[in-house]
Amino acid sequence: MFATRNRRRGWAGVAAAGALALALAACGGTATQDSGDGGGAGGAKTFSIGVTSYFVSHFTPGQSGGSNIDYAVFTPLTAVDSASGQARNAVAESIESEDNKVWTIKIKKGWTFHNGEEVTAQSFADSWNATAYGPNAMTNNYLFADFEGYADLNPAEGEPKTKTLSGVEVVDTHTLKVTLTKPLSLLPYILAQSTFAPMPKAAFTDLKAFDAKPIGNGPYQVTGEGRTTGATKITLQRYDKYAGELKGDAETVEVKSYQDEVAAYRDFQAGAVDVTLVGGNNLTNAATRYKDQLVQVPFPAVIYLGFPLWDKRFEDIKVRQAFSLAVDRDAIVKSLLRGFGQPAKGLAGSTIPGGGAQDCEFCSLDVARAKSLLAEAGGWSGPLKLWTYQDPVNTTILEAVSNQLRTNLGIETITTGTQPVDQLYPNLTAHKIDGPFLLYMGAGYPHLYALADQLFTKGSGTNVTGYDDEEFASLLRKAAAAEPDQAMGLAQEATRTAMAAVPLSPLFQPVGGLVHSKKLSNVTPEFLGGARIAAIKVN
Amino acid sequence: MGRYIVRRVLLAIPVLLGTTFVIYLAVYALPGDPIRALFGPNQVISPSVERALRERFHLDDPLIVQYGHYLAGLARGDLGTSFSGRPVSEIIRAGWPVTFQLGITAWLMEAVLAILLGTLAGVRRGKAADYTVLAGTTLAMGIPFFVVAYVAQFVFGVQLGWFPVSGADAGWPVAYLLPGLVLALGVLPQSARVTRNSVLDNLSADYVDTADAKGLPRRVVVWRHVVRNSLIPVVSLLGVSLGYMLGGTVLIEGIFNLPGLGYQIFTSIPQHDGPVVVGIGTLLVLVFLLVNLLVDLLYGILDPRIRLH
Repeated sequence: MFATRNRRRGWAGVAAAGALALALAACGGTATQDSGDGGGAGGAKTFSIGVTSYFVSHFTPGQSGGSNIDYAVFTPLTAVDSASGQARNAVAESIESEDNKVWTIKIKKGWTFHNGEEVTAQSFADSWNATAYGPNAMTNNYLFADFEGYADLNPAEGEPKTKTLSGVEVVDTHTLKVTLTKPLSLLPYILAQSTFAPMPKAAFTDLKAFDAKPIGNGPYQVTGEGRTTGATKITLQRYDKYAGELKGDAETVEVKSYQDEVAAYRDFQAGAVDVTLVGGNNLTNAATRYKDQLVQVPFPAVIYLGFPLWDKRFEDIKVRQAFSLAVDRDAIVKSLLRGFGQPAKGLAGSTIPGGGAQDCEFCSLDVARAKSLLAEAGGWSGPLKLWTYQDPVNTTILEAVSNQLRTNLGIETITTGTQPVDQLYPNLTAHKIDGPFLLYMGAGYPHLYALADQLFTKGSGTNVTGYDDEEFASLLRKAAAAEPDQAMGLAQEATRTAMAAVPLSPLFQPVGGLVHSKKLSNVTPEFLGGARIAAIKVN
Repeated sequence: MGRYIVRRVLLAIPVLLGTTFVIYLAVYALPGDPIRALFGPNQVISPSVERALRERFHLDDPLIVQYGHYLAGLARGDLGTSFSGRPVSEIIRAGWPVTFQLGITAWLMEAVLAILLGTLAGVRRGKAADYTVLAGTTLAMGIPFFVVAYVAQFVFGVQLGWFPVSGADAGWPVAYLLPGLVLALGVLPQSARVTRNSVLDNLSADYVDTADAKGLPRRVVVWRHVVRNSLIPVVSLLGVSLGYMLGGTVLIEGIFNLPGLGYQIFTSIPQHDGPVVVGIGTLLVLVFLLVNLLVDLLYGILDPRIRLH
């Protein structure tokens, strides 16, 4: 199982401050809008980018969060084309397999790391082994769970006896042989993640130094001391020997880190940052003030209301259907999110390859049907509690949902509860949460398969509803083993199967924004939202 | 005096030890799981990695054993390592200059403003100036200072562009003026009012009549005699207010994106990053103790009648 992680911690960021900033902005005049720094030497192209500090907390592929900075510094074997949704080769010359289990990966010649070292098959093997080796305690370790030999590096007890994955074999300088424990046709998509980027020999002499100042193979290199403790600035410089297609336009890029998007947006308003992600309440503000400088970012994610399938009150599917039908998604998106979101018609939005299908039969408001379904199921008695994790936008939406359920289903006593993320998830897994819960789920890689797998596969760390269905599992297994074009159809069928059982009800697909100063153009989002640094043009 | 200082310093040791324990206990008692927090909302944790991390940070040991490990490290001069893998000593080294500059800026602002406003209100008792200071300080007391911070940041940073909105890039003093002022405003009302009352007390003292009778100009009487004698309670209050300010840096540095010690605490608490919170928290307590010792020593200089034993 290739499960995922949600790289954007809390999609709306910590927007608490945003509400106030917004209120103030309403009575504000105009701010100067120009880049802060001219960037030193006469007219050299440069810009500054604001990111949350989480984006730059680690650079080692095995520990990084897959941010836009990671993709500026590293180029993995493949890249997913945001327009077509296809995985294209980057460092890879070809990725081929007969049975989707044993893969031969050929690597292009002529790629170099920022220190001049050649990128070889060994560079990938070294990086992957380091991440997969349990005692290194790298956060992305689990992404290698489907590689042959993973179990030996991560034994249930004691120290591993070996340090390399038996499923990763360096055939020659430019050829890798990868063996998986089960067929997975989507490997090229998975390899597009920054976790699977190569590491040079030099990295292994001092992994700590590498984590602060990585030596990558991407379009930009980290200069100076890299990320230093306590500093909020990192300077990137264009790597002129970059072998990939997308070479950066700006010579230098200043990365400024903030504790949240709200702080970054404030600095943008003051003209100290050229481009940054905006979310939550600031989106509305940005949409009016920087109309032509705002790029919409549809996140490959879904906000959903999950049902506790272990709870007797939600055993009857009619109850879950009734709840799903009683929520007015359009109203939530229109009035609470000011249009920054797609009212859900299905599990995945059209930004995810394979998504966009209207696979949610119960996602449109139908009060009469909701009421009769609930009545058929014997009505509702007693109080109801709805849950979410601490996030200002989540809380607002949950309040709206509770009001709608009260009005539309006639449930008298509805309360809402919040917990920090690190409590809510363990409590959900332990079945200690006594009501439906509002959660965010982002696709780990751009494929419907990823989202379906994360949410519905038994044993997935993010399947918190407890959904477990053999038909779904077998369809998904078939999808994993099938050729890419068939895999898509099978993943869609699997999703439809799961959605028909209503273990959760999608509410909307979140939309964010990238706001940029006038001197920048061609600002486009990476799959996970941040601005694609190498694509940005400086005017 | 020398013995007095030695005694105070020795007394600080149990206080510091107690502090580390209390903060450690507080971080330990936070609900939730530090490993879960480290990984973020819905990322999968592989069991082997979780085990390795738990062993590295002794997370499965009982509280007292964990604390023992921490103290043992402390005895070796090792402040521990944050969950994200950075030595706490390095974090402190990187962060203290920012907090120091912010603290000094705010403290100076508070001292100057409190003494000026307090004296003005005291001397002009019952007049418009007095009421203005009274009203202003009441207002300042009534608004939570994070609100003041956001408003100041928005008005002076974003709208007017007089100050940088956030970050320490502009250097001292520019980058620290606005956050320093906000921090000072939080404690200013109290110290300004204490100054006013103290000035009032001293204005009715006999020596003021004497000075007046000698024919000294009013200005000289006020500044040389009254104010100087009124400063004793104010100085001790300034010492205490530093404590509030150090606490305030946690929020202010968070809001203004200043990468100081407070910022580190701000980001470490949700992460359950015990070593960082305990290390920096204890350091702040140490600073607080030191400043209060200095304040007590200052008494002797301000008023020779006070002897320290």
